[in-house]
Amino acid sequence: MVAVIDVRGVTCRCGGRNSDGVVAVNDVTLSIGDGEFVVLAGANGSGKTTLIRTFNGLVKPTSGHVSVNGRPVTDDLVAARQAVGMVFQDPRDQLVAATVGADVAFGPENLGCSHAEIDRRVREALAAVNLSGREADRIATLSGGERERVAIAGALAMEPDHLVCDEPFTGLDEPARRSVLDRLRVLHERGTGIVIVTHDLRDVFHLADRVVGLSDGRVVVDAPPAEAAESLSDIGVRVPERTVGDEVDNWTEPGR
Amino acid sequence: MTLSYVPGDTLAHRLDPRSKLCFQVAFAAAAYAYTTPRGLAALTVVAAGALIVAGGGPRSLWSYRFAFPFLLVAPLVAGGTLGDPWFRIDRAVETTLASYRVLLVLAVAAAYVRSTPVRDSRAALQRTVPGRFGVMAGVGVSLVFRFLPLLTRDLTSAREAIAARGGEQVAVHVRMRLVATAGINRAFERADRLGVALTARCFAWNPTLPRLAFGRFDGLVLAISAGLVVVAIV
Repeated sequence: MVAVIDVRGVTCRCGGRNSDGVVAVNDVTLSIGDGEFVVLAGANGSGKTTLIRTFNGLVKPTSGHVSVNGRPVTDDLVAARQAVGMVFQDPRDQLVAATVGADVAFGPENLGCSHAEIDRRVREALAAVNLSGREADRIATLSGGERERVAIAGALAMEPDHLVCDEPFTGLDEPARRSVLDRLRVLHERGTGIVIVTHDLRDVFHLADRVVGLSDGRVVVDAPPAEAAESLSDIGVRVPERTVGDEVDNWTEPGR
Repeated sequence: MTLSYVPGDTLAHRLDPRSKLCFQVAFAAAAYAYTTPRGLAALTVVAAGALIVAGGGPRSLWSYRFAFPFLLVAPLVAGGTLGDPWFRIDRAVETTLASYRVLLVLAVAAAYVRSTPVRDSRAALQRTVPGRFGVMAGVGVSLVFRFLPLLTRDLTSAREAIAARGGEQVAVHVRMRLVATAGINRAFERADRLGVALTARCFAWNPTLPRLAFGRFDGLVLAISAGLVVVAIV
């Protein structure tokens, strides 16, 4: 498997000078392969968001190296940001235009795509999140789940190799969660690598190829979901109850 | 309510943003040249027409409510004197007309904002103003239009949060201080997050700008604009 995102000995300090800042990420080494579905799990403040922001250069590590597709992120930030599409925890932080179409087109416009290419990407990205024909809708009138899907479409329009979603289910009701989850599942089936950041594994447990558990900025577990489940509950991550000490195949997701 | 782009299919929405910008400038020039009641009455018709053509109405002006106290107080300040006769009506009337002129310019601006997507404004500026200045102006305008609605929403939520915990019982100046402090804090946070969002999506100084094309009604708008400029000069 080709490593798309490669993190080597990354440490991030924030909130002060390098020597005395809080250590958000502590000597993390991690490799996320092409087309993998990886869940990055950990309690609040465990360094998940800081870590994923190093994937496309939004956060510069204090030490260590991050490369995407074999190329250091710092060598070509635009290429890294194109390869690693990011969906923020609160879509309101991410949506920068007044209408759905304009927002999804924002990334391809910045990449200098032709008008025909922009139109194609917008159309396909909206179709991927089941929002075809909604280009003219005002962002302000969308529900939370629809905003989340527009945010995903905005990232998809960059045609990334990996889609990184920071707590994509926060604040969503059950139908909206299912809708977003369904879209992520389809994208993964089509070959897009997915990285989900969460402290609640119940939604994504059955989809993940691997779960990486973070605690105090360190990787404490990196294993398939069934193997990781027990360690995860120890670090404040919510896991489906029946997976602890049970075969994952025996677990049936509630309400499905 | 925050004034922002409202998707639609009105005549104003179909106009090229460059002709709308041209109209705005011409209207402002005419409004500053003619502050007589008759001139302002004529311009009122034009401004109201612009707002209606953009699908707006008096409610659109409510977004400018922060300016209303200044526009209302200005004539009182201008009319006041430190000695006899204490208040000069002629000065107050003159300033009232000037305040009203500002309101008309705001109405035309509201018509523009309602009917023009941010990226079209950016494209219009970059194509009209050559060189780096055009790029800077385009980016500046697009950032302001993206940032202001977020900021006003943050201020509203700060005010609501204060009211929800009995803040309305507190003296007005204390409330103002609380909202201002919360607003400034949130503005910085918001600017930070908007910056990260733009960076994550490869914000570029020279992106692919949307297609702009003059239509048959743009000629009419440009002719009206030219007429307003002539009126202002003559």
